[in-house]
Amino acid sequence: MNKNVILEVLMKCNRCGLCQEVCPTYRVSGNEFAVARGRNRLIRMAIEGQLEFDKEPEIEQFINECLLCKACETNCPSGVPTPELISQVREYYTSTKGLPIAKKIMYRGVFSHNKRIDLVRRLAKVYQKTGIKTLVRMTGVNNIFNKADDMLPDLPKNSVRGQLPMLLKNIHQPKYKVAYFLGCSVNNFFSSIGVATIKVLQKNSCQIIVPDVNCCGAPHNSAGDQREFKRLAIKNLKELAKLDPDAIIVDCSTCGSILKEYVGLFENEPEYQKLAKQIAEKVKDISSFLIEIGFKKEMGEIKARVTYHDPCHGVRFLNVQEAPREILKSIPGIELIEMNEADMCCGGAGSYSIFYPKLSRQILSRKINNFKKTGASILATSCPACTMQLSFGMKLHELTSPVKHPVELLAEAYDNKAK
Amino acid sequence: MLKNEIINKLRKIVGSENVLNSKITMTTYAYDSSPFLGKPGAVVFPTTTEMIVEIIKLANKYNIPVTPRGAGTCLCGGAVGVEDAIIISLAKFNRILEINAVNRTALVEPGVVNKELQLAAEPYGLMYAPDPASQNVSTIGGNIAENAGGIRGVKYGCTKEHVLGLEVVLPSGEVITTGGLNSQVDPEIDLTYIFCGAEGTLGLVTKALLSLTPINSDTKTMTAVFATLEDAGACVSEIIAKGVIPTTMEILDNTVIKAVEDYAKLGLPKDAAALILLEVDGFPAETKAMVENIIQAFKNNNSINYKIAKDEKERQDLWKARRAVNGALGKLKPSNVVHDIVVPRDRLAVMLKKVAKIAEKYDIIIGQVAHAGDGNLHPTLYYDHRIPKEADVIEEACDEIIKETINEGGTISGEHGIGLEKLKYMPLAFSQPSLDYMKKIKESFDPENRTNPGILLP
Repeated sequence: MNKNVILEVLMKCNRCGLCQEVCPTYRVSGNEFAVARGRNRLIRMAIEGQLEFDKEPEIEQFINECLLCKACETNCPSGVPTPELISQVREYYTSTKGLPIAKKIMYRGVFSHNKRIDLVRRLAKVYQKTGIKTLVRMTGVNNIFNKADDMLPDLPKNSVRGQLPMLLKNIHQPKYKVAYFLGCSVNNFFSSIGVATIKVLQKNSCQIIVPDVNCCGAPHNSAGDQREFKRLAIKNLKELAKLDPDAIIVDCSTCGSILKEYVGLFENEPEYQKLAKQIAEKVKDISSFLIEIGFKKEMGEIKARVTYHDPCHGVRFLNVQEAPREILKSIPGIELIEMNEADMCCGGAGSYSIFYPKLSRQILSRKINNFKKTGASILATSCPACTMQLSFGMKLHELTSPVKHPVELLAEAYDNKAK
Repeated sequence: MLKNEIINKLRKIVGSENVLNSKITMTTYAYDSSPFLGKPGAVVFPTTTEMIVEIIKLANKYNIPVTPRGAGTCLCGGAVGVEDAIIISLAKFNRILEINAVNRTALVEPGVVNKELQLAAEPYGLMYAPDPASQNVSTIGGNIAENAGGIRGVKYGCTKEHVLGLEVVLPSGEVITTGGLNSQVDPEIDLTYIFCGAEGTLGLVTKALLSLTPINSDTKTMTAVFATLEDAGACVSEIIAKGVIPTTMEILDNTVIKAVEDYAKLGLPKDAAALILLEVDGFPAETKAMVENIIQAFKNNNSINYKIAKDEKERQDLWKARRAVNGALGKLKPSNVVHDIVVPRDRLAVMLKKVAKIAEKYDIIIGQVAHAGDGNLHPTLYYDHRIPKEADVIEEACDEIIKETINEGGTISGEHGIGLEKLKYMPLAFSQPSLDYMKKIKESFDPENRTNPGILLP
């Protein structure tokens, strides 16, 4: 968008203030500069020349404090696409100032390369298992590192990709041929989700191909690193174009919505855009896909009260709301109970929790308190980024309740039947 | 800019995390939902009555104007303040202190959001009747300041009908309690109502005792489509004349229907000239009789078709759409002015038509939504503030709308307040002696004119 277009879009905001109701940063802070209407006001004044983006560090801070959860846009009577506007401003900052060094190391240095993520995971595992953790903590190195460390779940021994030869089966007379987009987080940090996805798909007569994809580019995109985002997108599009599956399955809401966003990314490159559109049509969130194909109902019991947290990328980007709930309800023994503000962001938002720990933790605590009120023993959600944040929340609140993907519970229910 | 000395003193009173004064943060407190802009010197977030007393005393000592602010959804510029004012944000002074189901009362701090109170009262089968369209975000303090009405106003009345007592910090820094919060039960001159609708010019409400209303067991929500505004207007008159008091009765004109439909996608007819959105509540036997009467009125007034919401979801969708009107119209043009005129109910159809004629005459877009049941119209005029001529035309059209309202025996504000926006119309709506007495009241509370100065009284 050029300046004039942005300005036209901004003027649709007539400051009615309804965003206050749904904006997580406003709900926990009560500050007008932490709500869509205030952020839009600042962007508008900067574009109109009344303020300068580069001379006012506070503008950058308030822009960066947005979680991009899209709740404001969904609730906005004028449909002002605040997250899109915020992304544009971040892109401007990144293009003029470059990425902050920590983000550069994390995103371009690690997430952009599959092998390096794997290496980091393995190193981190060693770090968690041995006494190095305590040692490093005592030296009190870099604050950001410590915060990231707090967040990190107990890492699995093997990545999903490393286990593929054992997991993937040839399905006799498969009903569907699906590509499984194995995202970085599931692959490296929450391999149990990936294993469950594969098991469940195979149980439902799907022949699975796991293409050799890269990071979807979500972290780069949210940091405003459009160049790297594009590079990764092109790689992934090319990889996915080699296949002709019935569906491209995602078990990470973020990956799913980012894959769909490739269409907008290549606005000016019709060739890639065409490809992106073809791919986008096939991208399916695992729960929605299972509902669509009428998944097998032969399940054993799981006795638990469960509540579901809607990932922003699930409920507002992929429009997935009912499917995961349907799956949970179908499992014998599970009592699904709704929590308050189930669709409010958990404050994870990628690396937000590391860079804006105070706001992030306030939002997280609100979420965990809503969870507590349900009396549920399991918190279900469909995004590994939320899983990381929510599990961290459980730790902070000294709760032992696990955070699980609906597909993990479904896989468990299938197993329980077999027993 | 306020002097550092003052900022430091404010920090001592409320804690440094509760004082803002940087250039950028001030920018985000310079507006409300109106087109008016202020230039605050500082924003403070007190959370106790004592803090507010200290702030007022400090402001008095240094002769600094103060402006109270809730959610900042004021539509008339009442929450932006004059230059270098201390904005007292009550957004964090927001606890519900008590819900008393037996007395049917709620005791709240001023920053409580209207909807939060509704949610808190609901488990007791109670509601707080005033429900302005902004209720999901606007605060009780702001509702009291503007004497906010709402969609249910036709049956249950405006805010002041539901305020039983107040605790107020006066411009002098003294604290008084009024009405039901007063410990003396002797007959008194009840000052409660002087603060309702005073737009924060006479003091700052720090506690409010509110009356709660039982939620009726049965609700029916209906819509009816009309080919002309006159038919819709006449239909409203007939419904009222039949003795039916709906909980709400709204008229939306074509401009509004289109904008709302684009947002809510409920299948509203985008080509209809007018839509009546109506709700009745009571015991099932009552609502049944009311619905029959209403359907008769729809038919008598050439309604093209009508519908009854089939379940709670359909009902909620309709109200969500109604509450989105103000925001949804934002996309038509970059700027707008929303008016809040009131006419006697029997003049409603005439007034709707007159406003439509004014739109035609000046060749501008005017969206009309009216709380038809109580004769309260919200014509919204759209323009592009970057084109000087457009702004002038709008001003002229506004003047004409107000003139016609007065001609029809109406007045200039039903629930949004006067603020900065309607200052110039005050002499049209009120006689000189009336205005003089209003000023005397203001002077007796605030002789130095420091509490929300510049608004309400010309």
